[in-house]
Amino acid sequence: MREMIVTELTQAMQELSRGFAHILPRIIVWAIIAFVGWVVAYGLRVFLRSILRLIKFDKLAENAGASQLLTRAALPSATELVSRFAFWVAWLGFILLGVSVLGIVGLQGQIARFFLFLPRLFVALFIMFFGLLGASFLSRAALLAAVNANLPSPRLLSVSIRTIIIIFVLSMVFEEVGVAEQTMLVAFGIVLGALMLGLAIAFGAGGKDLAQQFLEKRLVHGKKDEPKEDELSPL
Amino acid sequence: MTEVRLADESFLTDDFLRQLINVGEVDILVGVPTHNNAKTIGAIVETVQAGILKFFPRERAAIINADGGSRDGTRELVASAAIDDAQRRSKLYTLRTLHSISTQYGSSPARGTALRTILAAAELLRAKACSVISPESTQITTDWLTTLLRPVYSEEFDLVLPTYSRHRFDGILLTNLLYPMTRALYGLEIREPYALECAFSGRLGSQFLAQNPWHDETARAGSEIQFTLAAIAGQYRICQSFLGTKEHVDRRAADLVPALRQTVGALFSSLEPNFSLWNAKTGSHPIPTTGPAREFTLEPLRVNRKRLRGMFSTGVAELESVFQSILSPSTLAELQQIARLEDFRYSAELWVKTVYEFAAAYHKSVINRDHIIQALAPLFRGRAYTFLVENGNGSAADVEDNIEALCLEFERMKPYLLEIWNGRE
Amino acid sequence: MPLKQDALWYKRAIIYQIHVRSFCDSNGDGIGDFQGLDQKLDYLEELGIDTIWLMPFFPSPLRDDGYDIADYYSVHSSYGTLEDFKKFLESAHQRGIRVIIEMVLNHTSDQHPWFQQSRSSQENPRRDWYVWSDTDTRYQGTRIIFLDTELSNWAWDPVSKSYYWHRFFSHQPDLNYDNPAVREEMWNVMKFWLEMGVDGFRLDAVPYLVEREGTNCENLPETHAVIKELRRKLDEQFPGKMLLAEANQWPADLRPYFADGDEFHMAFHFPLMPRMFMGVKLADRKPITEILQQTPEIPPSCQWCLFLRNHDELTLEMLSDIERDYMNDTYAEDKTMRLNLGIRRRLAPLLDNDRRRIELMNGMLMSLPGTPSIYYGDEIGMGDNINLGDRNGVRTPMQWSGGWNAGFSAADPEKLYAPLIQDPVYGYPAVNVFSQRRTQHSLLNWMGRIIAVRKTTAVFGSGSIEFLYPANHRILAYVRQLDSETILVVNNLSNAAQAVELDLRRYHGNVPIEMFGKNIFPRVGELPYLLTLGPYQFYWFRLRRI
Repeated sequence: MREMIVTELTQAMQELSRGFAHILPRIIVWAIIAFVGWVVAYGLRVFLRSILRLIKFDKLAENAGASQLLTRAALPSATELVSRFAFWVAWLGFILLGVSVLGIVGLQGQIARFFLFLPRLFVALFIMFFGLLGASFLSRAALLAAVNANLPSPRLLSVSIRTIIIIFVLSMVFEEVGVAEQTMLVAFGIVLGALMLGLAIAFGAGGKDLAQQFLEKRLVHGKKDEPKEDELSPL
Repeated sequence: MTEVRLADESFLTDDFLRQLINVGEVDILVGVPTHNNAKTIGAIVETVQAGILKFFPRERAAIINADGGSRDGTRELVASAAIDDAQRRSKLYTLRTLHSISTQYGSSPARGTALRTILAAAELLRAKACSVISPESTQITTDWLTTLLRPVYSEEFDLVLPTYSRHRFDGILLTNLLYPMTRALYGLEIREPYALECAFSGRLGSQFLAQNPWHDETARAGSEIQFTLAAIAGQYRICQSFLGTKEHVDRRAADLVPALRQTVGALFSSLEPNFSLWNAKTGSHPIPTTGPAREFTLEPLRVNRKRLRGMFSTGVAELESVFQSILSPSTLAELQQIARLEDFRYSAELWVKTVYEFAAAYHKSVINRDHIIQALAPLFRGRAYTFLVENGNGSAADVEDNIEALCLEFERMKPYLLEIWNGRE
Repeated sequence: MPLKQDALWYKRAIIYQIHVRSFCDSNGDGIGDFQGLDQKLDYLEELGIDTIWLMPFFPSPLRDDGYDIADYYSVHSSYGTLEDFKKFLESAHQRGIRVIIEMVLNHTSDQHPWFQQSRSSQENPRRDWYVWSDTDTRYQGTRIIFLDTELSNWAWDPVSKSYYWHRFFSHQPDLNYDNPAVREEMWNVMKFWLEMGVDGFRLDAVPYLVEREGTNCENLPETHAVIKELRRKLDEQFPGKMLLAEANQWPADLRPYFADGDEFHMAFHFPLMPRMFMGVKLADRKPITEILQQTPEIPPSCQWCLFLRNHDELTLEMLSDIERDYMNDTYAEDKTMRLNLGIRRRLAPLLDNDRRRIELMNGMLMSLPGTPSIYYGDEIGMGDNINLGDRNGVRTPMQWSGGWNAGFSAADPEKLYAPLIQDPVYGYPAVNVFSQRRTQHSLLNWMGRIIAVRKTTAVFGSGSIEFLYPANHRILAYVRQLDSETILVVNNLSNAAQAVELDLRRYHGNVPIEMFGKNIFPRVGELPYLLTLGPYQFYWFRLRRI
């Protein structure tokens, strides 16, 4: 009996060592890949940081309104964030690449899917970033124009425009990422449609006088009756 | 001899070049930028012609019209001022041929491009003394030609800017911002740094033509004030001459935002490249002036003060988020405080702080620069309201004193601008 | 080559104005004479001259350089004898050169026997030969011509104790043309010289022949009647002879002197001359084209006489005040150069001795409609001496060589009638016929060439003129046409190179042939014809359809 146990143990040990010997080189390779990946990722981070600094990415982020968000969330600056993100993605990529070497079945597919997903993630982030930038810019432009034209409720107008654009951007992002595409599309359509309908009703019912004045001023070149405005000229 | 340098892509048409060849070298050049000015341009060009014949009968002269696509016969009216042996229509006796040529620089008016065209013509024709006349100056007299051109032609000045007799409330942007700020920063008491008519020497014109970034929208739009600033920066000899009453053809309130862009925008954008010139200057001194530096008329003028006040208050309230990026917290707080008042007073000191903070914000591009300019509009209205209230019942001397006080305030607070200029980068 | 018979010879002539006194001295007395002039006819023939205009050579006290005549039937002893004159005349004709002489009709010298008799008493038969008055108030408002020296047109004669009329110097009393005897006698004078063989007369000071109260005493109908009568007699008895009017008037006032081809054959175009100088100085053709636009048509048998300079001051009379001021300021900054209403300088000094400008001015002289008259010495670019009084600065001895007295005379230099020009620029060692003959591209040889080119065609003398008005005002361009011959002349009036586009559509298809070098230029097409010209350059193109 003892001999059987010993033989079995030895056999088991031998199988284990064989298995170990089989997998150890792969682990070593994986480790090497991971190490190389770390170096590359680090290099990428440094490189990206300098590029972003050069194009004053922080300034853009500030314009987008992203910087304020980051500060509030006690996160580092946009440049730093992007570089670090790139670092982790790159390194993770290499690690996963190494994992595929390990030959663990089933994981290959998932890893492949991960790599396929990455570009779309980047595009989505890209859309998000520039979308926010655009929303901020346009809403501010609308605010200023409305204030200077003495229109009523300029802030409402500005916020509405910002909201619409953000919703639009979000739905694009979700569509890109592939999360609940249809739902987002439909939801966006409903919101936008409702908003437009509401505005139309409000404008038609309540703003018809304003509309009349506006059209008159633009299209009727007739009598320029006494200017109700002042006669001042700034220059 | 200045080297002729045109832009890489030539913006002068072949036809215009041909006309310039025919004109040849001139001593005097009068440029008139136009766009659908048929109502006024005939009389103006006739006056220019008479002025040339009266004061420069022996000099080679030419009238150059840069037109932005007129469809009412403006160009033909200008061309009819020519005096030569082929037309034989002029009853005037002249020693020389007087050319009056016209070119269309585009299909929509752009004053910057018009000025550029005139400058290019002046350089190609090697004009010694040039003048630009606004097509809306219906009050022009023949004396303008000598008042503007003589200092350049005979007395070696490089830039002659006009001074006018104006209504005391006319040109508040000039009296409350452009004049005092230009004076405080550059040290010269130039009453009209933004001038639609002026005279300049060939060498100043050539330099400005070469150095101004014409492809840049802002530089092009604000080229009038850029011209003055270029003369200051290049340390050219500048003087002022009195031209009489300034009239506006259309007395409705001109669009404030475009006016701000052309003047304040250009002024702000000039600060960075000229930093070394203005940062060390203290105080200011007058420039040679012929005639009164400024005259005020006091006739009654209809002004909608309520509207100004309202737009100021609304602006301060609604644009808080924008102002937070531009103004210091203390300044913003002060503004918000006075905006709540029914009868507020936008003091000189607060106004100067506002303007300087805007300038610094513009320099650092805290937000889009055009937005910064637009944001200034409601605040300017508030300042205009205060100016109207303070000078409503005053005499011309009182108005002048108040403007002078404002100028001194700008000068006094210049260190503040330097401080925030060099601040957080 | 003997004279060609040609009724309109004066339309194709090249006139050369000579003062006998200044041209060549044969007997060493320091004064030019007819024998000397005779010796120089070869020079003139070689140059291409075919008509000589002689300034007055009659006996005279010479207080107005011979224009104060004391005897109409003789030759001043300093210049030779009547025989000398006849011999010279014959020599000239043998070479195909015609001779026209000066005839001063308006006045005589106060030393003339006629005046001596007229003044002697009120009853003298010749009393009425001059214009006498007891007061000096008649003919008020008549302008004074010699402003620098005369204060009035009346002079007091102490001998006859009355005033006599004189439009020029006070020693030149005016003849009275209301007197038939005067008219008769003056015709006799002219007849005397015509019979001798002269080919015509330059009639001096013709506008002033007759006076009438209440007028400006110029260009009166009575004056024209006198001329017409003279012309009638001339045509009857001496066909083929020519009358040239000296009338310093505006073009419209000059026109009557041609009448219907029955008064003068030729008249000087005074208003054009200063405007040519002005055009070059302004670098603007406007003064030139405008005066020619105002110049009326003249009868086909008549002709304008064009000139750049003559023995008088460059007259600025026919200019407006602003033009006159400009000319004085630019051509005679030194006020001593100004005389009466003109500038007393020669051609070369006026043009700063600029060879290009001298050529340009001569080019216009030879190509504008009219007969050109060249003042002696201008063909070599002689200078002047403004330190000599009156107009004597432009009447200095002809410079033949760089040797003794410039080859003018064998006399002692101190004996010369006037000193030679001696400065390093214009002096006779620098500017003289001998040196210029030896230099291929001298001004003299150039003048010979341009005269020769002009003579190859009758268009310049007899053709029509049509101005082109290119937008470049510094270019004076015109087309001369006669029958089927067409010549395009383009002049650059400025001192800088120019480009000009000419509208030659009417001459579409022609090939321009440049007349000096005879090279062909690009054919004229539908598009504007582009030409470039150097400073003061000019082109003559024969437009040939081939």
